[in-house]
Amino acid sequence: MTSRLRPIKKRKGILGGLALVTVLFGLYRSLVVAPPDAYQGEVQRIMYLHLPSILIAYLSYFLVFIGSGLYLWKREKRDDILAYAAAELGVLFTALTIIEGSIWGRPTWGVWWTWDARLTLTAILLLVYVGYLMLRSLIEDENRAATAAAVLGIIGFLDIPLIHMSVYWWRTLHQPPSILRPDKLPWENVHPSMLIALAISFVGFLLLYFYLLSLRYRLGEMRQEIIARRLTRGG
Amino acid sequence: MTLLRQALLLLWKDTLLELRRRDSLLTMFFFGTLLLFVFNFAFDLAPDKIATMAPGLLWLAFLFTGTLGLAQLFQAERENHCLDALLLSPLEGGALFLAKAAFNLILMVLVEIVVIPLFWILFNLRLWNLLPQIFLVTLLGTIGFCVLGTLMSAITLRARARELLLPLVLFPLMIPVILATIRCMEEVLRTGQFGDQVAWLRLLLGFDVIFLTAGVLIFDWVIES
Amino acid sequence: MRITIDKLAKAYGFLWALKDLSLDLAPGECVALLGANGAGKTTLLKLLAGLITPTTGAIRLDGVHFSRSMPQLRARIGFLAPADHIYENLSARENLHFFTRLYNRNAASPDLDAALEQVGLEQRGDELVANLSSGMKCRLSIAKWLLLEPELLLVDEPYGVLDGSGIDTLESFLRRQCARGSIVIMASHHVSRVLNLCDRAVILSHGRLTFDESKQQPWPTFDKAFGEFLPSSSR
Repeated sequence: MTSRLRPIKKRKGILGGLALVTVLFGLYRSLVVAPPDAYQGEVQRIMYLHLPSILIAYLSYFLVFIGSGLYLWKREKRDDILAYAAAELGVLFTALTIIEGSIWGRPTWGVWWTWDARLTLTAILLLVYVGYLMLRSLIEDENRAATAAAVLGIIGFLDIPLIHMSVYWWRTLHQPPSILRPDKLPWENVHPSMLIALAISFVGFLLLYFYLLSLRYRLGEMRQEIIARRLTRGG
Repeated sequence: MTLLRQALLLLWKDTLLELRRRDSLLTMFFFGTLLLFVFNFAFDLAPDKIATMAPGLLWLAFLFTGTLGLAQLFQAERENHCLDALLLSPLEGGALFLAKAAFNLILMVLVEIVVIPLFWILFNLRLWNLLPQIFLVTLLGTIGFCVLGTLMSAITLRARARELLLPLVLFPLMIPVILATIRCMEEVLRTGQFGDQVAWLRLLLGFDVIFLTAGVLIFDWVIES
Repeated sequence: MRITIDKLAKAYGFLWALKDLSLDLAPGECVALLGANGAGKTTLLKLLAGLITPTTGAIRLDGVHFSRSMPQLRARIGFLAPADHIYENLSARENLHFFTRLYNRNAASPDLDAALEQVGLEQRGDELVANLSSGMKCRLSIAKWLLLEPELLLVDEPYGVLDGSGIDTLESFLRRQCARGSIVIMASHHVSRVLNLCDRAVILSHGRLTFDESKQQPWPTFDKAFGEFLPSSSR
């Protein structure tokens, strides 16, 4: 068994190492090479973490959706393990996004929190998937928990566009709601060095995410094996 | 259609049980009314402020009242493994979902028919002519609540701390409905018509349709053993 | 109906509750399903009832592959769980009315009365099930299946709640079902009674089929196979 795992462990190790290197490189480019923002100054640098964090969170929730859908369809345990792992990481990255956003907000707006569209949206997202995690931990039977969570994973993801629309409309009261995301990223006016830093940072976070996901997935697999062994021995 | 026939049969059964025990309806009525009283003590409801606060307060009352109903929704099926009996039977996919969502909708509408005019009376809102629009918005929102709520009620059926978990998973998902109904009602109370807030009604309708469809398709997977 | 069970298996997570089970059943057979607790008897019954879905393998009813998504097939299957599957706060008659309508059998009031009389509940028709004893509830369940006329009847441990006359009612009901051509599969620990009734015995052990024979007099092979399940004091 251990010999079979060794090549997998090695691949994960490489992934982890690569992630670390890229993140550090990204940090270097973000904090040292890229110029400070013309209006916001140094505090803008948190965007190099903030933006990748939320994008990764959305990716994670999409994986929850996929895993949930596959699990309901095929009932293969590995899809459920993936969904659970992705949900946990999604919550982690969403929480990070909120904290980073808050840290940015304090010097910029003078407050730790404001009910603007983006922050509110991120907070709702956090609530939805924290609910997912709570649901899983409160259902005793493994398989019922997996099924219930899978349905929530699908429903939650379906609701995300609706939540988006409603929160953005709420915050832009008198404008006709024609676009899904009114905050456009102003690609034109951004210094190329900043874009590069952002891109590297994003790739680094992505690698980090997949590394963490693979670890968490393995944890889920091991847990299932323990449950199975415990039951066979006792029964 | 078999689906509708079976849903109606289940609805008949739930109505009969409710008439016999009156577990849900009376508690919901009482709780909704009680909340109105509590609001009076909790908030400064001066006559000039009440029109702006009314939609929010009403929806708070309905959310909590509705959650009570949802928590009780599958009570009859939890006794004697009756849920298994239904799963065994030739029930078409989605029939149980439709029946339960419709039942909760009926309960909530009955409560709303009483609570909304009561609210108007208690807080001296004179805009009686606006009640039809208010009822329309409330109905669309309630449908969304019942549809999503029935799904969530089934999901949390076998969880520990069920009564706490249900609002925890349901309320964040309900935010589009909450925002839509309150914004619409605000506009109606302010100007007498929907104006450009009618987009919210479309959102509500979209929400109802999406989750009604999703519910009919997914529900049976939730309650399977 | 003819039933073919082909390499049926059910796993919960990584634990197999039933493995590689194959069985053929012909109309009119009355099968005793025996085995220790946790051997997989209830799992098998639930799979046949369509309450749970198999992990691998298939169940074929008259050659048609049986899956949960076939309500028309479920209409022909019955599951007798004593004192279960009836609504506490409906009367006996209302329960019968509900279930006959649900199964699309238009049973008129006299038919319901006749069924109640056959199980000895004619005086209790309008009483709420909550006010009936568990023996009476079991009789009501029998009345229900009398009206629904399933081609396959699954019975799960009925002898616990019944008194003497209740047992007579149950057994004459089951005998009539087999005579009609229905298949009856009964899981029970009450070996002597169940063997008296049935003409075939199937033993499950740790999720596998270990014995499958038609009744003989005497039956040395059965005594040997079943001996393991008896308490050591009676061997």
